[in-house]
Formats: sequence, structure tokens, C-alpha cells
Amino acid sequence: MSESPTATPPVLEVENLVTTFDTDAGRLTAVDGVSFTVRAGQTVGIVGESGCGKSVTALSIMRLLPQPMGQIRGGEIRLKGKDLVSLPIEDMHDIRGGKIGMIFQEPMTALNPVHTIGRQLSEVFLLHLTKDPKDAWQRGITMLEKVGIPAPADRMHEYPHQLSGGMRQRVVIAMALACEPSVVIADEPTTALDVTIQAQILELMQQLQRDLGIAIVLITHDLGVVAEMCDEVVVMYAGRVAESGPVERIFEHPTHPYTRGLLASIPRLTTPRKAKLPVIEGMVPSLADLPSGCRFQNRCPHRDERCDQLPPLEEVAADHHCACHRWRELPPNNAN
Amino acid sequence: MDTTNQTDANAAPILELRNLQMHFPVREGVFNRAAKFCKAVDGVSLQLQAGETLGLVGESGCGKSTLGKCVVRLNQPTGGQVLYDGVDLAPLKRKELKPYRRDLQMVFQDPVESLNARHTIGEILAEPFIIHGIGDRESRKASVAALLERVGLPATAADRYPFEFSGGQRQRIGLARAIALNPRVLVCDEPVSALDVSIQSQVLNLFLELQREMGLSYIFIAHNLAVVKHVSDRIAIMYLGRVVELAPADEVYRDARHPYTRALISAIPQPEARRKSERIVMTGDVPSPIDPPSGCPFHPRCPHATDKCKAEAPALRPAPNGAEGHTVSCHYDL
Repeated sequence: MSESPTATPPVLEVENLVTTFDTDAGRLTAVDGVSFTVRAGQTVGIVGESGCGKSVTALSIMRLLPQPMGQIRGGEIRLKGKDLVSLPIEDMHDIRGGKIGMIFQEPMTALNPVHTIGRQLSEVFLLHLTKDPKDAWQRGITMLEKVGIPAPADRMHEYPHQLSGGMRQRVVIAMALACEPSVVIADEPTTALDVTIQAQILELMQQLQRDLGIAIVLITHDLGVVAEMCDEVVVMYAGRVAESGPVERIFEHPTHPYTRGLLASIPRLTTPRKAKLPVIEGMVPSLADLPSGCRFQNRCPHRDERCDQLPPLEEVAADHHCACHRWRELPPNNAN
Repeated sequence: MDTTNQTDANAAPILELRNLQMHFPVREGVFNRAAKFCKAVDGVSLQLQAGETLGLVGESGCGKSTLGKCVVRLNQPTGGQVLYDGVDLAPLKRKELKPYRRDLQMVFQDPVESLNARHTIGEILAEPFIIHGIGDRESRKASVAALLERVGLPATAADRYPFEFSGGQRQRIGLARAIALNPRVLVCDEPVSALDVSIQSQVLNLFLELQREMGLSYIFIAHNLAVVKHVSDRIAIMYLGRVVELAPADEVYRDARHPYTRALISAIPQPEARRKSERIVMTGDVPSPIDPPSGCPFHPRCPHATDKCKAEAPALRPAPNGAEGHTVSCHYDL
């Protein structure tokens, strides 16, 4: 999976994406110059806290930004070389659900409560692959079987509320993978689930990725999920990329003060009990009130006058980038 | 780390649950009769020592929140006892409960829903004093200011409304309200799970500080075992309304005995690059507490289940060669 990620061609390339929202408080830049590349069979994790722009990045890729407030103002999103930003919105219908699958956080809201599983699932096939309803229904049963739903033919006749949370998420995954997309965007796919069910769903996603060779963009706030699932990580803070690189690099040599602080602050099973946890002081600034220069400066223990300028994303090691003026001067990190 | 609030196991517990049951009637049919019961909590016995944190862990529907609500009597248990300082709170009526409410308080998961949006923070925090007839207007104002300072918020917060605060700040306000009347026991129901990662550690530190300063006892309910382990002295693992394992916090992680506990621990994704250990992935979902499986409630998902497990419910027993106070409810020594 991760052994030779550079050998496979890029499937999805996001370059310098800028997305804004027009609100009462003026124009807010939710995503500000984000770039990353996802290759076939690879999982790229986008991590960050609420409001960092990770979900807006996903919506921008799908061109599903709330209209007319949300607009892509700059950058390119290329799916197998084809730019999606300039594509007429009608052409996106083929892409969504066809070439790019989506998995959302809350399967109950992603599914329509008044239609059976079978109707919703076969709709995907009818839109993209076949005209024959019987064929679509059969394909639906096959798909449910593939995602590990017992008695799939019976489940097709049931409604979402008759399934457990884990089963519903399996149905959502079945819908996302129905047309064998080249990319799946999963926005917090396991956040609403219990840990043992989360383990099942993550296992399923990995297995399907191995079988189908799809690229996954995994959006999450859970660094544990990132460590288990991802090959590459993009750490976002207040709309910008703070740090990005191979998962081992990020967890073993976190370089940006934000990444370091985040990794240090999580209680682990191995942390001494009741010890004071290291914290990142303060909180994420509001988009309407961003500091000029480095977005993290008001919480950063290492800030100096240079931080009033926006730091460029610099190469720290092969494929490992960090947006901090002071990364060379910081004490060597000893995370983990 | 030296746990200064290590408690004396021989001292009388501040709170004791004896065979606690909370069976909710499931009404159906023409006559709206209680045809079945949802056994949310089904015979739980636990003790809480003064100054101790007892962690309660389990998946949704295991009854951990219901148990917490029974302790602060937001639910009236349908069986068993809730002994606080030797007094059984379970049968008490609303009026009789009032003096005990001061001592037993609750912190809720969602600080948005648990704070009245139409009241200022000052009004929200003054309410406990008004209800219990403590102080006058001026002294209440001073108490509110002191509370805000104690949880790390500026005194000016008193004039503002809940929506003006972030999730972490609102949880601080919820905590300030809970400690307003100097309680002795705090039931914390998923107090940090709605918060961002960088805010979680701030709030967890505050919980630990307040416990040291005020000698509070916590019942700390959460689904994140790593978080619970960090704040707890002992941890009870719940499954389908019952405690399946109870042990000192480090033992749960180091020497888990129940197959459910082991699966739960192995299911937690660790924030470390590519761990090599194999995950135990349990099949199936948690069964319904309305129609729980026969015998051991865990047997349908247990990789070690035998015919005995299907027929007989195991009782909590001391873990063989385990640490003191480590009990497990499994027929077998795995």
C-alpha cells in the first residue's frame, strides 16, 4: 500500500486552492492556498480542528459549496489531469458518485429516511451505469455483500432506521463505492461510531482499498485514525497547511509547533495517570479575526517578530513540508 | 506519578451503588401496557471513595449515562440502592432530595444544550445559590466572579451569553456551575468528547486541578478509554447494563482479563505511526438491552464463547493472580 507511493500516478491533485465565504462579517477565507496530491491506492489524511477548513476542502473538490456564499477563488483541482474547478456544474453530476465517491460523518443524514436501502443504492447504478432497474437492484445486492452486510437481499427492502449505526455506515460506503470511483472522500467516516464499530469500518475501508485500488482522502480530527489509516498527512490550521508529509515522518518528527503541541496534548494509554497534560494555550482564532502573518502565532510558544509574515511551506525532508519561519531553530522534537 | 489522592480502601465509601437497576418500560399495544423492559442498568454494584475518580467506559447503550443519571437522581432507579454517606437516595422524593443535590452534581457532554441560551453566564452561575437560598445579591456576584476565576475565565464573562463562548469555554462554565455549591461528588458524562483535541487537554487539566484543590470524587463517564485512564483511579467496563470488569486504572490497560475489555483496548486507534500489533476486530453490534442474550451478555460477540456462556451469566469475581480490587465477570481465565 504505502511501499512505493510515488510509483503510482496521481489521481487527485489539489493546487493552491482558495475558497471563500461571503458572510455578514465580510468575505472569509476558509481555505487559503491548500495543495496536496493523492495517488492510486493511497490514503491521504487531512487533520485539523473545527474550523480549520478540512471539510470545506472536501466540499470544494466535490463542488458542493453552499451557494452563493461559498466560492472557489483560486487554484486548481485536477482529477486524473482534468481540472474540476472550470468544469460546468452539470458535468459534475457524472463525477460525483461516479468518479469520486463520498462518505459522510453521519450516515443517518446521508441516507434518505423515507426510501429503502435498495432504492437509494440502485439509484446510484441507474444514474451512472445501467438503465435496467432489475440489474441495478442485483448490483446493489452484490455491493451490500461486498461491504459485509449479512442477508443483503433482505436488507435491500429495509429503511435506514432499521439498521444500526455501523450497518448504515456500511450502506453509505457501498453507495460511495458503487461505481468503482477512482477517489473516495471520507469526511469523519467513523466519528459518530463506537470504537469497536469504528475498528470494523476502518478495516473494511482498508480491505476495499486493497481490492479496488482506490485513492482515499480521509478527513478527520482523530490523530489515532490517521496513524492507522494514512500514508500521507496534511495538517491544517485556520485554512492553511501547517505541515504535510508521510505519516511516519509526521508522527515521529513533527516539526510545526502546532503539530508538536497537538501530538503532545493527547492522553495515550501509556501517559502517566493524572499527570498534567501539555496544552496548546488559547484557542483557534475566528476566520473573521485572523492574525496577519502566521495563523498560529497567538498560540505559539516560539513566536518572534518574523511570524508577522506568512511563513512559506518549506521542505524539511523528502516529501515533508512545514510552514514555520523557525523550524530550523526549534529544539529537536522528541515526540513519542 | 504519585497519586496524592490515593484513597484508603478501608474507609467507608462516599457513594455506594448496590445492585442498581434501571429498567425502562417499553409500552406497546392498545392498552399501552409495559410489555417489555429496557434493562439499561441491570444490577450494578460499585463503590466510590472520597477523592477518587471512578471511570465508566463502554459503548453507546451500555448504560453508563443512565447509571450516572441514577446517581444524581435525574432518573429514579427501579431497583437497588444508591447509598450516599449511608443514606439511600433511591427511594427519596423530590423535596427530600434537595439537601443532597448540593453534594451530588453533574457535568454534561454538550455544553451548548446544558446552558440556558437566554440567560447570561452570571445568571446561570447564580442560580444554584438562589435555589438553595445562599447569600444575597452582592455576595452571589462575588461568588460568581470567584467561580469564573477558578475555572480560568475572565470576570467579564458574567455579563455575556453562552453563544459568545467556544465549546471549551462553555464546558468550563458547565464545570463552574457544577462546583458552585462545593459538591463532594461530580458525575461527569462525556465532558470532553465534544471538544477539539487541543482544547480537551486544557479541560482535562482543569478537572484534575479542581479535584486536587477541592477533594472532589468523580464518576467519569466516557467512551474514550485513553481519556478515562488518564483521569481515573479505577475503571469499570460496562456492557449491556452490567459491569464486566473493574480494576485499578493501570491494570485495565496492562492486564485486561475480560475479552470485551481486550477488544475495546485493541480497537482504540493509537496516535503512533503504523503500529504493528494486530487489532482484535469484534464482529456484530451491541445487542439490544430490551432483549439481551441469555447467559453472558457478551457471548454472541465473544471469540471464546462456549455452551456454558450461553446458559449461565457469570458473576463478578476476583481476577486470578490479579491486582487487589481487580474483578472480572467471565467464566474462564483467559
